[in-house]
Amino acid sequence: MAHITINQYLQQMVEAIENREGSFCAELLSFKHPHVANPRLQLSNPEDKCQHVLEPPYDEMVAAHLRCTYAVANHDFVEAYKCQTVVVQSFLKAFQAHKEENWALAMMFAVTLDLRIFANSAEQQLQKKGKGKVGDMLEKAAEQLMSCFRVCASDNRAGIEDSKKWGMLFLVNQLFKIYFKISKLHLCKPLIRAIDSSNLKDDYSMAQRVTYKYYVGRKAMFDSDFKLAEEYCPLFQHSHRSCQRNKRLILIYLLPVKMLLGHMPTNQLLKKYDLMQFADVTKAVREGNLLLLNEALAKHETFFIRCGIFLILEKLKIITYRNLFKKVYHLLKTHQLPLDAFLVALKMMQVEEVDIDEVQCILANFIYMGHIKGYISHQHRKLVVSKQNPFPPLSSVF
Amino acid sequence: MHRKPRCERKRGQERSGVEAKPGESVPCGTCTTMCPISEVRRRETQRRLHCFEMERGTEKERVPCADLSRTVKEYSRPAAGKDSTRACDLRPPDVLFKTVCYLVDEIAASPTLHPWTEVYSFVFDRLRSVRQDMIIQRVSGWECVAVLERTVRFHLYASYRLCGEPLRLYDPHINDIHLQECLSWLLECYSEGQYEHHAEFQALSLLYNLGSTRTLQRALELPERVRLSPPVQLALAVNRAYTEPNPVRLLRLAQKLDFIQACALHRHLLSCRRDLLLLYSHGHNSRNCRFPIQKLADVLSLDCSLAGQLCQAHGIQVSGDCVVFSKASFSESSCKGLQCAQMHKLVDDKQHNLSVGSIIHGIA
Repeated sequence: MAHITINQYLQQMVEAIENREGSFCAELLSFKHPHVANPRLQLSNPEDKCQHVLEPPYDEMVAAHLRCTYAVANHDFVEAYKCQTVVVQSFLKAFQAHKEENWALAMMFAVTLDLRIFANSAEQQLQKKGKGKVGDMLEKAAEQLMSCFRVCASDNRAGIEDSKKWGMLFLVNQLFKIYFKISKLHLCKPLIRAIDSSNLKDDYSMAQRVTYKYYVGRKAMFDSDFKLAEEYCPLFQHSHRSCQRNKRLILIYLLPVKMLLGHMPTNQLLKKYDLMQFADVTKAVREGNLLLLNEALAKHETFFIRCGIFLILEKLKIITYRNLFKKVYHLLKTHQLPLDAFLVALKMMQVEEVDIDEVQCILANFIYMGHIKGYISHQHRKLVVSKQNPFPPLSSVF
Repeated sequence: MHRKPRCERKRGQERSGVEAKPGESVPCGTCTTMCPISEVRRRETQRRLHCFEMERGTEKERVPCADLSRTVKEYSRPAAGKDSTRACDLRPPDVLFKTVCYLVDEIAASPTLHPWTEVYSFVFDRLRSVRQDMIIQRVSGWECVAVLERTVRFHLYASYRLCGEPLRLYDPHINDIHLQECLSWLLECYSEGQYEHHAEFQALSLLYNLGSTRTLQRALELPERVRLSPPVQLALAVNRAYTEPNPVRLLRLAQKLDFIQACALHRHLLSCRRDLLLLYSHGHNSRNCRFPIQKLADVLSLDCSLAGQLCQAHGIQVSGDCVVFSKASFSESSCKGLQCAQMHKLVDDKQHNLSVGSIIHGIA
């Protein structure tokens, strides 16, 4: 296969299309397949040959694909992206003409995946030269994916078996990847709605569902909807056992959410997945050590910001305050705690410009949220806590 | 009057995609006055001149004359068949900037033109047409930045000054849409070069969009030079106080803001004070709670009588010099009678003797 001639390649393509062998067609168009490294196929002007053998719009599609392999061989990703756009566009023409059949879905997966990847690489290439605006290419790729999505989503005629709707989730996941990259999360909402209202949503492949949940979970996190985030954070056990990398990615988002809900990860887990950046954060939260938390956040700031979890980790400050206050309670062993004791604790943690009014405000917030059971007596400058379970476990509060 | 800002937003999106179409020529304006002469004549005969644009003394006449030095191109909605790209109708960047300065110095800051709601509606519309000219000509760089900076400050100042005006004279929602649009355009411009006021406007964006994860996330991704600048750090601290939530700290930090920053934050102050009362109602919930009203007024940054009124609006009992907090009695206030505008002291105090002109030009 690796070194077939152009004629052989085109012949295979013709037969695969005639026999509606979707996955074979997909291979012949995919950059995951070794044929793309075959120099005999890397042509700058394959149009005539393709027209000779293939029907429109397939001729245009395959010609663009071959030009794309040529561009990639020359490391010109901007050109590759342009070619791949043509591949997707001509594919879409053919795809729309397929009535009540969906064998071409595999092909769509292959060409749209490559489109996103090339948009990404093209953008990086342009950035290096200091050209182009961040997100421009990806945004345009997203438009292409959206036109595919529309074709799939509007396929109401075919029966379930032959429906193009089976392609929706794959496209949604690709779009999520782009929207997260260019921070346009608000664009995810209509996609989520489309999937949630789809009757196929539980029948897509496990891999696609895990990816989907991963992104919906992350979005929930950005919207500060942590309960939903926890629910959606894809079922860790469902993602493939051997795929350490994916599990690590999931953990990066799952950990902060779990921590906010009061579940701290063990050091063993952090070690196993090479996530020691979280070790000090966990320790600080558990001990109520604000100083250490600030230190840990500052130390791994770049990593946390890049992952987009810095803001969520900052919210751990609240839990850290709570744990610090709980310590004060354990030290004083009384139910009437002087407010000054909390002030001293906060000052020890070098909280800037803090005074008794702020202590009252922080405590009032804890009481309001149910983190502390009790009340503040302003006249006596005391926090009076319940004799039973004044600091209920976090996991019971949310 | 200015409904359907959608069109503008659509053009906003086009903006990011324009460079990609080579070969297509970008129109370049040749109009050297604030208003193309054809429009002056047209509006004159149609008697559609604004009173700020009429030749003094002719206002009362049947067909008032246009004062060419005061007539400004009005915003007109793009429509099918209308050619908005004629060079003679477009003002080049330097004329646009002069137009903005005229609008700020001679109209917005004028001591003689009133009511200010009318000033607002005039300047609002004419600034919008300036932006339209910029979009059609794809103006970028410092001229674009200078125009947008003044536009953003104008809308921020207006959001404060006109707070509480009747809806037909001032619609906060529409002001917000245009402000957000200009702000995000401006921040986009900043990302393409180094500009003096980047940090200032980043901070304003953070304060105006208090608690917005998107704005915060964007701010975190900024170059350190901007992110670690004092105004951005202060704005981030305010945001942190908001998310914690620690309204006591938030209101304290608000004292440190300058006037225009306070204008940006101002729309959140009422809900922040409400949060504080809600937290205190739960935190101090006990039978013999006695919380001195003076203390409460201090943390709310209000005077005692307003603090008392605010408590009562939320169903919190005030007896003598003390407030009796109780979580059962706290109610969402309809805040009828008690308006945000009555609690403007925190912002007002910062204006000192700053003139409207220096506020919008950003001359502190």
